[in-house]
Amino acid sequence: MMKYSTVAFLALALIVAAPLAAPLWAHHSFAAEYDSNKPLDLKGAVTKIEWTNPHVYFYIDVRDEQTGKVVNWAFEMGAPAVIQRNGWTRNSMKIGDIVIVNGSQAKSGKPHGNARSVTMASTGKKLGAGSSEGQTYTEQ
Amino acid sequence: MRNQWITACAATAAMALLLSLTSAAAQAPAGGGQAGTAGGRGTRGGAPATGARGARGGGQPAAPSKPTPHWPDGRVNLSQAPGIKGFWNVASGSPIGTGGSGLPTNLTLEQVPFQDWARALYAYRQTRGGLDDPHSRCQPAGGMRYFTVPNGMEFIDQPELNRIFIIDGENRNWRRIAMEPGRKHPPEDQLNPSYFGDSIGHWEGETLVVDTVGYNEKFWFIRGGLPHTRYMHLIERFTRTDFDTLKYEVTIDDKGAYTRPWSGGWNIKWQYTNYDGSPGGEIHEYFCIDNERDSADFALQ
Repeated sequence: MMKYSTVAFLALALIVAAPLAAPLWAHHSFAAEYDSNKPLDLKGAVTKIEWTNPHVYFYIDVRDEQTGKVVNWAFEMGAPAVIQRNGWTRNSMKIGDIVIVNGSQAKSGKPHGNARSVTMASTGKKLGAGSSEGQTYTEQ
Repeated sequence: MRNQWITACAATAAMALLLSLTSAAAQAPAGGGQAGTAGGRGTRGGAPATGARGARGGGQPAAPSKPTPHWPDGRVNLSQAPGIKGFWNVASGSPIGTGGSGLPTNLTLEQVPFQDWARALYAYRQTRGGLDDPHSRCQPAGGMRYFTVPNGMEFIDQPELNRIFIIDGENRNWRRIAMEPGRKHPPEDQLNPSYFGDSIGHWEGETLVVDTVGYNEKFWFIRGGLPHTRYMHLIERFTRTDFDTLKYEVTIDDKGAYTRPWSGGWNIKWQYTNYDGSPGGEIHEYFCIDNERDSADFALQ
């Protein structure tokens, strides 16, 4: 049975997540490129950052703990101005930073994803990535 | 079990309330809350419009907006006012449906007078999740879509030159509205089809009315992909119902895709801050083509 403490936790979680919910209308639909049924939870070192429109991209090296193989993943976020509303600056992330990325993989199956949130491993600070996941592409 | 259901409902309601507050805060950073839809046309003859306003969605009561601004000669001011910066936060909108910023008079999708082929094409586009949208590949947001893409919009009114420019942060696009009295569109065979067409405007009291023809068929005129043809003729009406609200109404007259002209619109809100939320109230640069990496990975499945 759900207890009041659970309700309080959900409300608190929402308050914490609220800054991540700033609306984004990307130039493309989420569904055209990404699959919400392919969730990603990856950790790796930042290798490149592209702080540009229409989307900020960053790249991380993700090491497979079992095989030792390293794959460079590309992640899309919102436009610079959109994620700035979520607390980002162009210096929030630096080459070599270890980050934990939650998001969804591209339908293409490539090592490419849409980031929903990024957590700085060193500080635990979590920032919204301005994902358009969940938005529909029909008329309102 | 009953208590579990009630508790779950309470949790859901709390989440919905918090989300709505978050959304309202994100969309109305200063100077006013969510404006309701103002009824009727704006007031005429230079008097400030004080039409009906109200809170949208039943949440927080809307903070009162300042009245519609006017220039010293009495014309309505669709832009910034002396000492008050900002821009129109165009970000979404649809001529169909009454959700979000939609006008209460909007048609439902079922009421749109599609020709059969246009209805079938629209239905097909819906199955593709936006995969075929030219704007996804950074093509210009032509037609009314100009007022649904983000990054801010402003009017530059130059009555001494009989023209109004509408500038958009999105790709630094602009539209030119010719205001010369008696101006006519060029003959059809002299119109080069374009994304923004040939626009002629005039004032009807407080409302700017813009008549446009000469569109190409290379864009979707609204998110979702309502079809149009080269016969599309748009009549747009811009009414600043109060300082924070621009009512956009559009009539779609396209004998190639629809069985009769039909109308819809939405309200556009004023934003007092920069687009990134910092103080300033100025539109910024956004070029979609700057680092477009998405289309290479577009896929249906």
